[in-house]
Amino acid sequence: MEPMDIVGKSKEDASLPKATMTKIIKEMLPPDVRVARDAQDLLIECCVEFINLISSESNEVCNREDKRTIAPEHVLKALQALGFGEYIEEVYAAYEQHKIETMQDSLKGGKWSNGAEMTEEEAVAEQQRMFAEARARMNGGGVAPKQPDPDPSVES
Amino acid sequence: MRQAGTYSGMVISGKTGPHLLPLARIKKIMKKSGEEVKMISGESPIVFSKACELFIKELTQRSWMVTIKGKTRTLSKEDVASAVLATDLFDFLLNLVSQSAPAPLHPKPPN
Repeated sequence: MEPMDIVGKSKEDASLPKATMTKIIKEMLPPDVRVARDAQDLLIECCVEFINLISSESNEVCNREDKRTIAPEHVLKALQALGFGEYIEEVYAAYEQHKIETMQDSLKGGKWSNGAEMTEEEAVAEQQRMFAEARARMNGGGVAPKQPDPDPSVES
Repeated sequence: MRQAGTYSGMVISGKTGPHLLPLARIKKIMKKSGEEVKMISGESPIVFSKACELFIKELTQRSWMVTIKGKTRTLSKEDVASAVLATDLFDFLLNLVSQSAPAPLHPKPPN
């Protein structure tokens, strides 16, 4: 075994945690199925390669739009461009769900008000609205009426 | 300027939500994916995390389809390679799996 097997801080060693990956893999399979260790390793490598691929494309999309930061929208467009359009809906839903959860967390925290002050119903409605908007954007060829600021600014 | 729990909320909260994969790790991989990678918004790794999950699920499922043809209950490296070969969408993985491709695709040296 090479010394490189030890998790290092160098850029070369960026990979995904085996335990988490194994969990995702096993969830897909019947409980009695075994996954060979080298198969697991290969799946993880494929995933890293997938990230590389989408990252490169996202970077390009970002460049084309003359933006300086890779935003979720760029990633979604990259997925579409590379043939992973089927993932987009689910990915976007997860993203929106996370935003809702984050908003709820910060409301519970009470330390700062992000100015939204939405009830849960309103937040869910907002999610639906954003989802529909995104859908329309995707269907309409990506013309966004306005660019919503992804970060809830807490400057007050 | 501190973002309202955008990072810490996900990492510490321990929710087994859509973002099972560690966002910092994903960000690291994104940064090393190219020479001039731009800055990455805080939310992009979340999108990646879910996309990766879907990708792995699909690849696993396709590999499994190959496995069951062989009447074994162990998913092997060759099954993964076969799945990649059989799927146009996964062409970008061909190099990666070419060493694991099942026997017929390897020209065996004559005995």
